[in-house]
Amino acid sequence: MAEEREELGVSYVVVDGIEGRMARVELPDGGTEDWRLASLPSGVQEGDVIRIDVQAGDVEIKIDHEETDRRHALGQRQLDALNAGTPDGDINL
Amino acid sequence: MKRTLMLVALLGGSAVAQAAQTGVLTIRFLDVGQGDAVLITAPEGQSMLYDGGRSQPRMRTLLQQYGVKSLALVAASHADADHITGLVPAIELFKPKLFLNNGLAANTNIFGKLTATAARVGTQGLLASGRVINLGSVKVTVLPPPVGMPKNDQNLNSVGLLIEYGTFKALMTGDSETAETQGWLKAYPSPFLGPVDVYKSIHHGAANGDNLPWLTAVRPKNVVVSVGPNNYGHPTEKALGLYRQAGATIWRTDQQGTITVQVQPGGEYTVTAGKAGTGAPVRPTGPVPALPRTVPVPAQPPAPADTSYPNCAAVRAAGKAPLLRGQLGYRAGLDRDGDGRACE
Repeated sequence: MAEEREELGVSYVVVDGIEGRMARVELPDGGTEDWRLASLPSGVQEGDVIRIDVQAGDVEIKIDHEETDRRHALGQRQLDALNAGTPDGDINL
Repeated sequence: MKRTLMLVALLGGSAVAQAAQTGVLTIRFLDVGQGDAVLITAPEGQSMLYDGGRSQPRMRTLLQQYGVKSLALVAASHADADHITGLVPAIELFKPKLFLNNGLAANTNIFGKLTATAARVGTQGLLASGRVINLGSVKVTVLPPPVGMPKNDQNLNSVGLLIEYGTFKALMTGDSETAETQGWLKAYPSPFLGPVDVYKSIHHGAANGDNLPWLTAVRPKNVVVSVGPNNYGHPTEKALGLYRQAGATIWRTDQQGTITVQVQPGGEYTVTAGKAGTGAPVRPTGPVPALPRTVPVPAQPPAPADTSYPNCAAVRAAGKAPLLRGQLGYRAGLDRDGDGRACE
């Protein structure tokens, strides 16, 4: 029986870490998987957002630099805001 | 000596509640699979969590299992998912006062969820700097990333912690790599860094973490490798060889479960291990140095370097169905309904 093929359209994964020849990617559902580094675009780095476009059985996969920059700027703003009130000196808990 | 050994027998191996014992510092290297999570409870009862592993449900279970009632601080050594994911439920549950971090955001959704959760519950961000955090009577010195680390590399910007109680010292330095340890060697005198009684292996025993000059300064007596099934070859033989060369006792969370260190006021300590809740065998090494510290790591075949199933038939044939998200061989393509259980 032929396997049912599902068209996925555009989705994004994020390279969370690179461990030797493997890349740990964060999937759209929040889970993580290990993918072979060779299966990702050349020059991929940690933090890159990867755009995967599946249309009519064809797969296009590339680093989305614009989305990478957008997400990084947003994440950094959120972290900076969280750290804005960092207390000085030693801390007693 | 007899009293101490009895204490070890009573404490080890079971899912002991985290309630503080009078005068005792407890450090648990939690069995979170492939990742890091260290729960530290001061004699006075204050607790902190250094990293949270890669699974939210697993962290919830462990926090409950060890009877954690509050967290004063959570810390992310760096922003990789296998270190921060479990911090999300920890913050949700306990609304800690502070979230220690390296100041560098990650692009992942889980990092966004972490900062959003902290902001929502009123947890204050704490940018890592060379300061002391007094967790009750326990001195926790923050080792911030040295100057000059590239800002696009999380591992090289790992935040370290040096924990001191009496004469006892423990050191943990995230997933740092040689460039960062070189920076720390320049920043801190050797007697400050070592010898340490308990040391968390860098980067789960990766080949690019621990190195001879660093371990020569740190001089670890016990090394805890926080590791689970993985596709990366962790821990590497190179790292394990360095620990043996240092004369350290090696403990592994993948083989021995959660590793628990109990420190008495003077600094005398014991190290025990056991799968939480199973009452698994205890492996005392202390008091140090009265008892030999040579605890061989049980001989077990290493995890396969890579496990990949082409389809569910292969998963079932291997007797692995259902595969849960996070388990070796799980991938979304095998999980048609996306519920985290593949080949149901």
